[in-house]
Formats: sequence, C-alpha cells, structure tokens
Amino acid sequence: MRLYEFEGKDLFRKFKIPVSNGQVVSSPSEAEAAAAQFGGSVVLKAQVLTGGRGKAGGIKLVSSPAEAKTTAESLLKLQIKGFPVERILVEPKLAIKKEFYIGVTIDRANYKIVVIASGEGGVDIEETAVKHPDKIVRHSLGVEEDLFAYDALTIAKKIGIPQELIKEASTIIVGLFRLFRKYDAKMAEINPLVLTEDGKLIAADSRISLDDDALFRHPELAQMGIEKRHEEGELTPRERQATEWGIPYLDLDGDIGMFPGGAGFGIMGNDFIQYFGGKPANFMDSGGGPTPERLAQMLVLLDDNPQVKAIFGARFGGISRCDDFARGVVMFLKNHGLSKPMVVRMTGNMWEEGLKIFADAKNESPQLFAKIEFHGIETPIEEISKRAVELARHEGGR
Amino acid sequence: MAILVNKQSRVMVQGITGGAGKFHTERMLAYGTKIIGGTSPGKGGSRIFDQPVFDTVAECIKETGADTSVIFLPAPAVKEACIEAIRAGIKFLVVIPEHIPIHDMLWVRKEAQAHGATVIGGNTAGIITPGESNLGIMPEIAFSAGRVGTVSRSGSITYYVADTLSRTGYGQTTCVGLGGDPVLGSTFNEILWKFEQDEKTKAVVMCGEIGGVYEEKAGDIIQKMKTPVLVMIGGVFAPPGKRMGHAGAIVEGAMGSAKEKLTALAAAGAHPCRTFKDIPETLKKLGV
Repeated sequence: MRLYEFEGKDLFRKFKIPVSNGQVVSSPSEAEAAAAQFGGSVVLKAQVLTGGRGKAGGIKLVSSPAEAKTTAESLLKLQIKGFPVERILVEPKLAIKKEFYIGVTIDRANYKIVVIASGEGGVDIEETAVKHPDKIVRHSLGVEEDLFAYDALTIAKKIGIPQELIKEASTIIVGLFRLFRKYDAKMAEINPLVLTEDGKLIAADSRISLDDDALFRHPELAQMGIEKRHEEGELTPRERQATEWGIPYLDLDGDIGMFPGGAGFGIMGNDFIQYFGGKPANFMDSGGGPTPERLAQMLVLLDDNPQVKAIFGARFGGISRCDDFARGVVMFLKNHGLSKPMVVRMTGNMWEEGLKIFADAKNESPQLFAKIEFHGIETPIEEISKRAVELARHEGGR
Repeated sequence: MAILVNKQSRVMVQGITGGAGKFHTERMLAYGTKIIGGTSPGKGGSRIFDQPVFDTVAECIKETGADTSVIFLPAPAVKEACIEAIRAGIKFLVVIPEHIPIHDMLWVRKEAQAHGATVIGGNTAGIITPGESNLGIMPEIAFSAGRVGTVSRSGSITYYVADTLSRTGYGQTTCVGLGGDPVLGSTFNEILWKFEQDEKTKAVVMCGEIGGVYEEKAGDIIQKMKTPVLVMIGGVFAPPGKRMGHAGAIVEGAMGSAKEKLTALAAAGAHPCRTFKDIPETLKKLGV
C-alpha cells in the first residue's frame, strides 16, 4: 500500500528525518493562503499514488500567492496516470545545491533488507543504477540486524555527503531504516535528499510502500489517517464493483469472460485463451476458498458485461472446494440467470459432491442450465479453452 | 525415493482443531499420510480423528516423534508458529496460509536456515508424494506415482500439470507447491537441486509466473543439473504489472516479466512449454 508524499513525511518527522514545513490543501484559495504564509515563493506538488509525477506536470514552482491560486486551479483539474489530483502539498521553495538518494527495500532473492544510497539522486536514479552501478552504494542486513550509526556514517561518506553534515546524514539513514522496520514497509525512499545552498539536509520527497498484510500490527496509522486503500489508477465501473466485493479483477479488451479458480490458473488461463486465438475480457482471481456468494458475484460481473460473448469456467478444487463452487454457480443461475454460453470444467476436492449439487439443481429446473456445457476431469483444460474461443466466435458472428 | 516427504514422514498439524485444519487433516489421513497428532493451544490432552492434540509443538514431538508439520493458522500467527516448530526440532514445514507479512517470512527463513530446516509456502497448496504422503490441500485425483517431479508457485497449476502427466502415463515422484506469496520459505533453486539428487526423478516440470525474482534465479541451478527441466511461465500476455519504485528496480533489475523469465531459463537449458499438453510431448522427445 503506497502512502501519499505528505503521509510519508509525517512518518519522517517521527523518525527525526528533516522535512520542509508544508501544508496540504485541496482548493485554490487554500493554496493561495498557504503560499502567503510561506512568503509567496513556493512549490505546489500534486498528491497522487503514482510515480512520474514531475514529468506529468504535477510539480509547479510559483513566486506569488496569486500565482499559487491559479496554478492550484489547473493542478486540481489534472489526472496523472488515471489518478485525479485531489490534494496539493504546498512547501517553501528550496535552494538546491545537490541531490542524494536514500532507499530501503527487501532483496527477496537473498532474504535481506538492503539500504541503497547514491550521490546522484533525483528522477534518473534507475538509469544511474544501470549505467553507473559504481555510483550506487548497497548495504545488506539480515532481518535480525539493526543498522548501526557507524554503518550509516560509512554510507554517507561513500555518497559524498559533506563532512560537516555526515553525522546528521547518518541519523537520517538510520531513521529511514527504523521507519522501514517499524511499519513493515516493502520500500521506503527519500528521493531526493536535498543539500540546500545554505547547508541543510532536507528530505524533499517521500515514497513509502507498506505491506498490506502487516497493517493489522499498526493501528496507530489509522489514527494518522493512513488507511488501507486501493492504489490502482482510475478503475472502470466493473473494477470498482469487483473491488467493493473484494474480488481481484481487471477489465481487458477481449470477449471471453474468464472465471478461473485461483490466481495461478487465473494468469495462465488467460495465456491459454490467447494461444488458441481468443481474447480474454478480464483477469479474475477467486482467492483461496471463495464462498458461494463470492463465486456468484464473479459470474454476475461477467454476465453483465456486454463485451463478454462467452464464459470460460474452470475449477480444480484444492482449498477451494468443488461443492462450494457448484453452490456458487447454482446460486448465480437461480438469482441472476446466465445469458451467455458458458463452458466449464470442474474437478478436484469434493467433485462428487459438486456434481450432485449440479444434478439436483438441474433436475429441479433444467432450463437454468440451457447455456452451460459441463465437463469433468476427462476433458483436458486445453479443450475447454478452445471451446470457449469457438463459443465466443459463434456468438460474435450472430 | 522422493523429496522432502515420504511414507516414513511423521506429520503433525499446527491448528489441527480449526476449520481448515480439521477438514484437510481428515483428507490427509484418508490418503494414508502418517499424521501422528497436532497442536491447538489450550486443547492439549484432547483427541481429534483419534490423534492426540497438544498445546505446544515440543510436547507433540516428545510424545509422537513428529519431524514434519503442516500449518493451518491465521496469517498473523504464522511467524511464531514456524519459529516454535523449527526450534522444537521440526525439519520440514508446510505453510498453507496466505497473506503472511513479508518481514515475518524473513524471520522464518532465518530461523529455518539456522536450524537446517526447510519451509515451503506461505500460500502453498502443499506437497504430495503420490501413494505415500499428501501434506496440505492438494486434490488426490490429479496425482499418480511415477518418475517426474514438479515444482510450482501456484496450486491450481500443480493440479493441471499433474493431471496432464497422470493421463499421459507419467506419474510423479513428488509435487511441490512453492507458494504464491512475495517472499517464500524456499526458492525454485533449492527444490530443483533436491530433485537433481533424487535418483527416481527423471525430469522436473517447473511452473512459475510473472512477478518476483525466484524464476530467473533458478537458471544458475538448471545449468548445473543433469536432470532435464521443463518450464512454463504464466502471464506471457499479461499487461505490465505494478512497479516497486526505484529501490525495487535497482535491486531486482529487469526481472519479473514472463518473457524475461522464459528467456533466462531457456538460456540456462530449460525446455519451455506453452500449454500443459506440451509437457508430455516434450518429455517424449527427451526420452523420459
């Protein structure tokens, strides 16, 4: 879960990392007042949960409160990679002498926490990492290790922090590391760490991403207004609906509604459809052990999508059992009804129970099953994928 | 022969009295897995499916000689449960729950390495040595005993691969679910090397997916292996995923996309497969 710049800076303050006195505003008049308070010469920074903000025109320097007002007006109309700008951080302009980079993240392949630093901070840091790896300093630590001040001093020296600021820089690096650990971060960055003309170090931007799965440990974040959030860009109405229902879902541009079990086959099933010449209309993941209600909701998303010409269904029951799968499908057929042709394969844990649920429901109301082609373990999944492609073509040709 | 688990494995279940723990313990027992007890703090002294329940892993090991544990607990409890098991002497741990905090898995990994234990998961479907032992949630219908090993990030992919192998006459030595979480107890490397050392395993099917770094890193081991490795990577057509900021890019470089993974693994000598039915065809060509 990504944090807004101003939220990250609130956390920086707690760890004695120096930041500018800023103010978060959400209207042009507030921006004008904030600019006046900081002496007129300020920077306006759009608060969005995505990178590349500067290049997209989300950061503006102004020199008067009146200019702050008109600039804020246009910033608040801006969308950056699908994210509407709803808030602006107003900060005094910095006289920049040099920019550094400090980051902490997890090296998953080696199971280490790694502190990364460079004397060449700013937006081109990744390019620097590729072209001049010698200009990037890395320091790896085991999860049980603390970052000691002398290590941080060494890092600060290596990236060329001036001698008189070495001690302060080490406090900043240790602070960022502790913040990373304390809040279960996946990534914490100061980019840039600015050396000002008057010889101060200031964290000019924050980029922090926390582990959603560890938020339960940090109730104090909610008190700071930092709550679990969806961090994708603009969602389609269907994606928004799916998010509300707690279903990982993405709209794609094809015509085959994908109703696969599990995230693994959710990803690979989409490849299969394309290998056989079709195009998926969506990506969807049922999660482990979905309830019948959720499965029914997943089918509603597909059946209500006018772009969908046919539905591909697959369930290889593991922790997600076939009896629950069958209950979900029957619930959908009874409460909503199926308007598109659907081919489905079901096998795995509790498949006999699942079959019985289908058979009973079909006995009761055979018309509900008119558009379903049903297969068990005897049909390879490739055949099901091909059939879904055929069904979509046939429907599309009508 | 097989890897990590066989009919001698003495298996306990942490969380044996919970909903999922109970359901799958019954299934594992029905398969013939040697489940010899489990833990459920506060319920020590009771029995379930005629197996003893203990408060702590140490007590369970003392009474039953357990050497392997399957964890069915809520994600926030997993770190302590793993460390408890490893310190008490469990040598092989199967972590079924998903959404375990990433920092917690770093602790689990460190503890496992310090004690010479192996952990698979989190978010794994488990591991099965067909005909001998089934740990976790995998549906037995897909599996049959034989000579091909499988290792996969995803449970459902494991089932499809095993099902395809079984129906084409290729049984399996052991099928390992690595897990779907971002930081895992074991890597492809480690499992592949265990298969390499297993005499009965004549080929390994490795299935990965977009994201993360574990697939690319397997190239080093595949180069050293005599046993052929077949590889499938899900997400060839997936839209580009989210990026983990500059720090992630600096550490993980260009890794992560399905095409990059396939290129890296093919260069190391692995045999790429597109759909499941390519697997038996490739095995035939290799003379397996």
